[in-house]
Amino acid sequence: MTTPVVETTNLKKTYMLGKVPVNALQGVNLKVEKGDFLAILGPSGSGKSTLLNMIGALDKPTEGKVFIEGVDVSTLNDNELADLRREIGFVFQFFNLIPRLTAKGNVELTMAIPGLGKSERRKRAEEVLETVGLKERVNHKPAELSGGERQRVAIARALANNAKFLLMDEPTGNIDSKTASGIIELVKGLNKEKDVTIIIVTHDQHIASQAKRTVQMLDGLIIKEEVN
Amino acid sequence: MKVSDVFSYAFGAIRLRKLRAGLTTLGVVIGIAAIVALLSISQGLQDSITEQLQTGFATNTLIVSTGGGFGMGPGAMTATESDFNLLVNYTQIIDEIEDVVMSVAVIQKPGCHIRSGERELKLTVVGVDFAKYANIYSSTFEAESGEIPLDPENETVVVGKRVSDPWKNGTLFCDVDDGVEIVWTTGTLFDAKNETYTGHVAAVLKEIGGFGIGPSDSSVYIPILQAQSFFGTDECDTIIVQLENDDEATIESVSEAIDGAFSGQVSVTSSTAMLDIMSSVFSTVELFLAGIAAISLLVAGIGIMNIMIVSLMERTREIGILKALGMKSRTVLSIFLSEAVIVGLMGAAIGIASGWGLAHVVARVFSGGGGFMPAGDHAAAAGGMTITPVLTPTVFLGAFAFGLIVSVVFALYPAWRASKLKPVEALRYE
Repeated sequence: MTTPVVETTNLKKTYMLGKVPVNALQGVNLKVEKGDFLAILGPSGSGKSTLLNMIGALDKPTEGKVFIEGVDVSTLNDNELADLRREIGFVFQFFNLIPRLTAKGNVELTMAIPGLGKSERRKRAEEVLETVGLKERVNHKPAELSGGERQRVAIARALANNAKFLLMDEPTGNIDSKTASGIIELVKGLNKEKDVTIIIVTHDQHIASQAKRTVQMLDGLIIKEEVN
Repeated sequence: MKVSDVFSYAFGAIRLRKLRAGLTTLGVVIGIAAIVALLSISQGLQDSITEQLQTGFATNTLIVSTGGGFGMGPGAMTATESDFNLLVNYTQIIDEIEDVVMSVAVIQKPGCHIRSGERELKLTVVGVDFAKYANIYSSTFEAESGEIPLDPENETVVVGKRVSDPWKNGTLFCDVDDGVEIVWTTGTLFDAKNETYTGHVAAVLKEIGGFGIGPSDSSVYIPILQAQSFFGTDECDTIIVQLENDDEATIESVSEAIDGAFSGQVSVTSSTAMLDIMSSVFSTVELFLAGIAAISLLVAGIGIMNIMIVSLMERTREIGILKALGMKSRTVLSIFLSEAVIVGLMGAAIGIASGWGLAHVVARVFSGGGGFMPAGDHAAAAGGMTITPVLTPTVFLGAFAFGLIVSVVFALYPAWRASKLKPVEALRYE
């Protein structure tokens, strides 16, 4: 058996909301294998975004461990965490593109960070933007793109560095349902044809039904797991 | 991230906020321009004065005066506190001293009036032995027109260039062979007595320049014997001593010998010492001016810091994104510092250029505005000096470095804060 791409053991996270401690995660055990397409479902406040931040090495757990390809994230220092994040493809609900950069510029930036050369990253950016169906819009800035297009740019950016897995936080939360199904088709295709591992957080049942596997979260715990 | 990518990212961020970046840069520009203008003008001034001092003043001379003041040619301050008087014939004592070539007594009376026809000027009258004086100050006590009489008859007058041509517009106050009247007012304010000396101009000196020690453009020279009888005195203000050479040992031994001969009642100043004093005064003034200019640069630095902290707030989310994409803290730090470096470099470059331009404008105004003041004004005005601003490599590089350092130092704190942002919190920031 190969090492899972992501594994969490008894993951707990408590943070302070003002002076009130919030137990966002209360012992989450999760395993994601290579090529998986996992949807994490749950109402707001169930801890799914917190879980995503842990898996994405953006935040550190209070207790328990996160392993990315077998590496214990809690043992990494800031620099090593940054290195690790380069191999994780984030897609955020609010796109989080850099407004002053074009679609291509945004995708190139993510490759400039690990120090890839100019011509290489230009080529690769055009390639991934073509993959997400934005060949004609590469030189547009986010403000000139529709919500769906922006999310495609964000996905292209996540793909650019050959990420170990895509980590998507409500990727369709901010776009209309028609555009959303286009995005879902794209994600599904990436998983099926390019064997990209995908972890998607959503509260949209329809999206969840497209995934290979879903887990239900409530009050910081996984309460149900099913394979579609 | 590659250095070039860091810079182009930083440059893009600056370009996005042109007005803000422009105003921030302007702060640096003004500071640097002020420093460069002040330093290059004062360097130019110093150079031109030093040059005049060196051409107009033999280094192998000593100036003997009473009390503590140092005689700076005509218009000098002479502090006479004791009963001791420096007499004209003391030159005989000094001439006896070893290594002394000759000495010449100088009587100077500021505030005399000189009349030529209808016109009148107020200036300093100097009585000297023409032959000896011309020998010591061979490069400056030199006739442009006429001839300095070495064995002058009575009533001979030699005038400086600015006395002959005070207005610089072609209208001459007096020329060679003109008759002039020198009026010296003596006595008290209530019991004033006018003495009049009538003479003719034997020579007009060539132009010397502003701050010459020794002969001056705006003095009138009469033979020492006439001066003694006209002013009714045997006292002189200074005695200029010419030495065999300008070795330090010679200067020292003769200074001591003169001091000894008059039992410590005179002060002996060497011209080299005076040059040293002048240049040290200049350094102090220069430092003071640069200090003032530096304050404006400090203000610019605070402006940079302020703007960067504001921009940090605005860009918190952007920083969060960059960190989520795997950017290291030190890269975030270097992006912010690069922005400061760009502002500093642009500010310094524009500042040096505009400071240099400003220096030329100011120098022109100064050079044009100098010159002899017409009758009624004191004659000590700087005669037509030309200041050419000088930008030394030290000032050039120093200004660059200073602009850069100020920008970077004040950006350190905001940049450090940016780099320390936690990705999760930064992403959540609205």
